[in-house]
Parts: sequence; structure tokens; C-alpha cells
Amino acid sequence: MASLRELQASFAAALRDDAAACAVLPLENLSIYRNNAAIGFRTALSLSFPVVRRRVGDDYFRQLAMRYRQHHPSRSGDLHWVGKGFAAFLAEDLQGGEYAWLADLARLEWSREQAAVTTTHAAISVDALARFAPEQLEHLVFTLQPSLRLHASDYPIFTIWAANQVENAPPVDQSMPGECGLVRARIDGTEVRTLEPGVFSYLSALAAGAPLGEAVNVAGLDQSGLVHALGFVFQEALVCAVTLKVGHAAH
Amino acid sequence: MRPGPIPACAGIGLRAIHHDALINERPAVGWIEAHTENYFHEGGAAVRALERARASYPLSLHGVGLSLGSADGVDREHLARVKHAITRFEPALVSEHACWGHSGGEFFNDLLPLPYTDEAVELLARQVGEAQDALGMRLLIENVSAYVAFEHSRLHEWEFLAGVADLSGCGLLLDVNNVYVSSKNLGLDARAFIEGLPAGSVGEIHLAGHARNGSVLIDDHGSHVCEEVWQLYRHAITRFGAVPTLIEWDTNIPSLATLVAESQRADRLLGELRGLAA
Repeated sequence: MASLRELQASFAAALRDDAAACAVLPLENLSIYRNNAAIGFRTALSLSFPVVRRRVGDDYFRQLAMRYRQHHPSRSGDLHWVGKGFAAFLAEDLQGGEYAWLADLARLEWSREQAAVTTTHAAISVDALARFAPEQLEHLVFTLQPSLRLHASDYPIFTIWAANQVENAPPVDQSMPGECGLVRARIDGTEVRTLEPGVFSYLSALAAGAPLGEAVNVAGLDQSGLVHALGFVFQEALVCAVTLKVGHAAH
Repeated sequence: MRPGPIPACAGIGLRAIHHDALINERPAVGWIEAHTENYFHEGGAAVRALERARASYPLSLHGVGLSLGSADGVDREHLARVKHAITRFEPALVSEHACWGHSGGEFFNDLLPLPYTDEAVELLARQVGEAQDALGMRLLIENVSAYVAFEHSRLHEWEFLAGVADLSGCGLLLDVNNVYVSSKNLGLDARAFIEGLPAGSVGEIHLAGHARNGSVLIDDHGSHVCEEVWQLYRHAITRFGAVPTLIEWDTNIPSLATLVAESQRADRLLGELRGLAA
């Protein structure tokens, strides 16, 4: 008699391939489980990527979900994770085609999904800088909100995202310039917004752990740009902690 | 002080669409049940809503993803997340299903039926026992709806469940709609199922609606509890006594008021039972 492991393996094979043998009755009802698995997967994916679905339509989204599942089946009992590899899959699957921009849009949507379930920490105020000497400022390292995600794309993905918060929105001209911006959790929801390229570069460097002086140089900011950028991270409640880079501690 | 144990009355399944209404209106329901996997994240609106709802109602956590009957074993990472949710939300009851859901590394995210064999009883009981040890509490294990039966089954489903409860020490969550759906789909006797379960083993009952697709009943939790299931429920509480009873409604979700009204029907039947016993 077949072992439990063998019976489950044959059932699983029959869920993947309707021609596979499986010792159950009535055999035709296996299609219910086959459909449940496909629909559950696709529904979870569409909840994570509502704008991708709206832009391509239900039929094409169904095809994308089916192809994605064939290559990247669910690896968890928690369906919330099925979209983790979707953007990378789209980048490969749609490379060079008219929908190449979808991969960047999917990355933005996945970031939003993740930011929405990340804890928001208490932010510190700009007054925290008062305890450092002026010559130490360039060596300050900022700990930013854990929900912060930064995105840059050759396509206008932030504009596309914002325009498609409702069903049946008119299409956005994909030939518009690329955009960069941030995604982060707020206590009352999730924020998705574009940033000036200089602020984006500066914020990206800070998020990567660069000290303030290095981040300012990377972004090519002048004195007024520095004042603006420094004010920005505090006004936006993005800074959770500030420390001196190792080797530059106060004496 | 947080609400205490789950009372022997009707509760409702908590769904995101009702979070705000439940917190603001505080309808008169005895308790709430939430799907464990929906509250795994550290932050976000859903966990904040459950924290608030949990302050007003006794809470049960109902898992759908542990796959305790998979011969490939239980996902330790998933089990750790359930443990974390239990520590965080302090539910009075925790339940899962008598099913499997993954094989060869692929998860189907469905409640797949088991063959009713001695081997499956032993495996499920062992893995339920391991989960209970890891989670630090007794589980209730629910019978699932079935659309197929394994040719290898040698036991009745109720014998299978009784064996798992006996070996693992778990309680049972009797889903009366699932009993009805499976009995119609597979030509079984629903009343014999209820009479076959050991008295005292049932710690919770689920009620839900189903859909019909041709000759097959689909357990979609998308409508009112049907009259036949109410009749079976009356039979079940006569046999098992007044136990916490949940109304599940997961698709075509109605207003909170409709859901609460459905739970009040279960409360009336429980009240009649108590009247008979008085």
C-alpha cells in the first residue's frame, strides 16, 4: 500500500498536471482543488499588485500569474509572501517588450506592501543635533524609519501608480521622464511620493549608512541644498536615531 | 485587563472589512475569531485593529497554513510565527485543520484532505502534539470539507478525528457546514459523523454557508448558513452541549449587522438548549 508521503506526492502531481494519476474519487473533483490553488495564488498576487493588474487587465494578469506560479510556486503556508519574486520575474519575462516598465511598477507596489506592515518608530527632532559640535556634523550617521524604501526608475512609475488608484483610469504616457521617490509607513497609512533627484541621492546614501558629509557629497548638494535636505529628513519624521560614525566620538 | 476565555455562545469571524465597524460599534457578540496568518506582520492597520478589538472581545486564533498533516513535516518558521502571534495577542483558543497543504516544497495554500488510515492518524497526531508542545497550549483541530476521498481510506472520518484527539490530546473543532458539504459530495451520513465523534471532544463549532456548482457543494463561506446545517447544528449541540459557536463568512462578506444577526440565531439555539437543560 502506498505511504502517506506517496499519496500526497501523487495528489500534488495531479494538482500540477491534470493527466497525472491519483487514487481519489471522484477524480474529476480534483479540478476543484486545482482551481482553488490557482485562484488563491492569483488573488493574493492581485492584492499585492493592484496597479499592475489594473494596467494590464484581468486576462493578461491571469496569464502572468499562471506563468509566475509555474516558475515560482508558493513556498509558504502564508500566502502574503507569494509576490516576493514577482517583480524580478516580470523583469526577466517582459524584458525589452512594451510592458518592460511593469517590473519597476511591481517593485514599487511590493515596497508599499512591505512598508504598510512595518512598525513605525518614534522619530527624533532636529534638536538632537544640538549635542554635537559643528565639526562633528559631517560624521553623523542617521538611523531612518525601517519602513523607508527608495525607488528610481527609467519610467514614470510614481505617476502611473498615483493615476491608477481607481479602476479604469486613463493610461499614462510611458515615454515621460523617469522618476525617483520614496515609500514609507505613516501611522495612518502608507506614503508614496516622488523626490527631487538630489534629495533622493542624499537619502539613498543615508539609508545605506553613509555619514551626513558623504551623503551630501554624493548628492552634489551645495550649502542651501544641505540645509534643505537636512531639514527634510527631520520634518518628514524619517530619523529615528543619530550617532557619530565610529572614530569620531566626542572627547 | 483583557477579556477572558471564550464563552459558550456565538462569535463572529473577524475580517478586515469589519475592523472599523467592530471597534466603533462594539456589537453584542460573545467573542471573535481571527485568521492567524493575517496577523503575522509586526505593524500595519490589521494588527493595530486586532489589538483594539482584542481589548473588547475574547479572541480565538484560527490558522489555515500550518499543514499539520503533511508527510513532509511542519514548517518550523510558520510554527514560530504562530507562536509569536499567540504571545502577542494572547488568544484564549487556538485552532488548526486536519489537513495537509504542501508536498515536495510546493505549498498549495488549501486545506487538502487526508486519507483516513492508521498511518495518517499517527502522523497527524504526532505533528499536532509537536505543535502543541511548541505553542505551549492545546489545539482544537477542525474537520475540513472534502470534494474527493482517497481509495486508501480505511476509517470513517470521525474515527480518524477521534484517534488524532486521543493520541495527541487535542480537542476538536466541529465544522458542521464542512460535515454537510462532505456528506453531500461523498455520499456520507452527516448525522452518523456527529454521533460518531466522542462526547466531550468538541471545544468549538463552526457554521458557514456554501455554494452549489452542479452536483458539488463548494465550501465558500459566502452566504447564510443553510437550514439543513442549522438542523445538524441543533443535533450537534444536543450531543456536545453548549460550546462556543462561530459564524464564518469569508466571501461576499455582508454588513457587520447581518453577520451579527446570523450569530444571534446560533445564540437562540444555544439558549433553547440551556432552557431544556434547566
